[in-house]
Amino acid sequence: MSAAENHPRKSWVLLHVGNRRFALPAESVMELAPPVRLHNFPHTSRLIAGVIVRRGRIVPVYDVSPILCGRESSVHRFYLIAERTFGNASEASAIPVNGECELATSEMQPPQENAPPYFAGVLATENENIDVLDLQELVSAGMNSPATGNHAEPRP
Amino acid sequence: MKIATQDTAKSRRSRPSEAVILFCIGTQTFAIAADAVQEIRSTDSLATAAVEMELAEVPKVRHLVERSHRTYYVVSGCAHFGLRVTRPTLVLILRQIRTAVLVDSIERMADVSSVHALPQAFQGEERQWYRGLIYLEDRVIPVIKPDGFLTPEEFARLDRAAKSIEARNELEGAVQA
Repeated sequence: MSAAENHPRKSWVLLHVGNRRFALPAESVMELAPPVRLHNFPHTSRLIAGVIVRRGRIVPVYDVSPILCGRESSVHRFYLIAERTFGNASEASAIPVNGECELATSEMQPPQENAPPYFAGVLATENENIDVLDLQELVSAGMNSPATGNHAEPRP
Repeated sequence: MKIATQDTAKSRRSRPSEAVILFCIGTQTFAIAADAVQEIRSTDSLATAAVEMELAEVPKVRHLVERSHRTYYVVSGCAHFGLRVTRPTLVLILRQIRTAVLVDSIERMADVSSVHALPQAFQGEERQWYRGLIYLEDRVIPVIKPDGFLTPEEFARLDRAAKSIEARNELEGAVQA
């Protein structure tokens, strides 16, 4: 059974990263957080821009713009907080997003041919095809991408 | 309806806390459990006692010091955490581990009631570096693992290098005598 068949018509959160729109399954999204302070400290994990504090919890922030848009996005107005699984456990994870998110109901189609593994499928809306993100695959892609510098140095 | 007794209020107030030392390397603040630190010395005061050593496999250690008949390896905090090189002025001599750490300054001491686990998203060397994170006065500060500065393998290499330095010094002493 394909991923698309696994996902009949259901709810999606549409988000803006860079100048593109993507979708995440609504059930994985916990909240849209305001632009709170991003805290940095030395680490060597790729893709992690820092952490934010939300409702007493420390939430890692994944900067997925370089993977999705090919460059770092300078405008982050909100953080979309979604659940990422680690084996049997799960953890709140934040993605910086540019604008307001929308809720949409649609049926996911299979991903386009040669689409990267972090696109689980496509939502066909009136004007555009919106790629559905697989957060786990997206983060793995970031972790496996070549190093771009000394990530131990906290980013400004 | 239950009325909170004095005991309940007291137990809430007496939530266990831990004393930590906040210190800086460059612009970054770190925390370490106060009871993990034996002594804080200025680098100047240790300069005469420090023995130079250079080991390509452990470049973050450039000196060793003898304290109370124990050899401590002096780790550069900048090199360990991959930070920009600064001019450290203080040395934290750790209590149960033969490690001393070069830092720039001590910020202050603080009492913390909880240490948050490092999120699973962090999968790099930082899992060895940090015990967790504290949230203090609108800052997230990593709490250092005292035994995370040097691995057992690095200690073994450094011990071998220290022995050969000692042997060389003894030989030079004997020749001079």
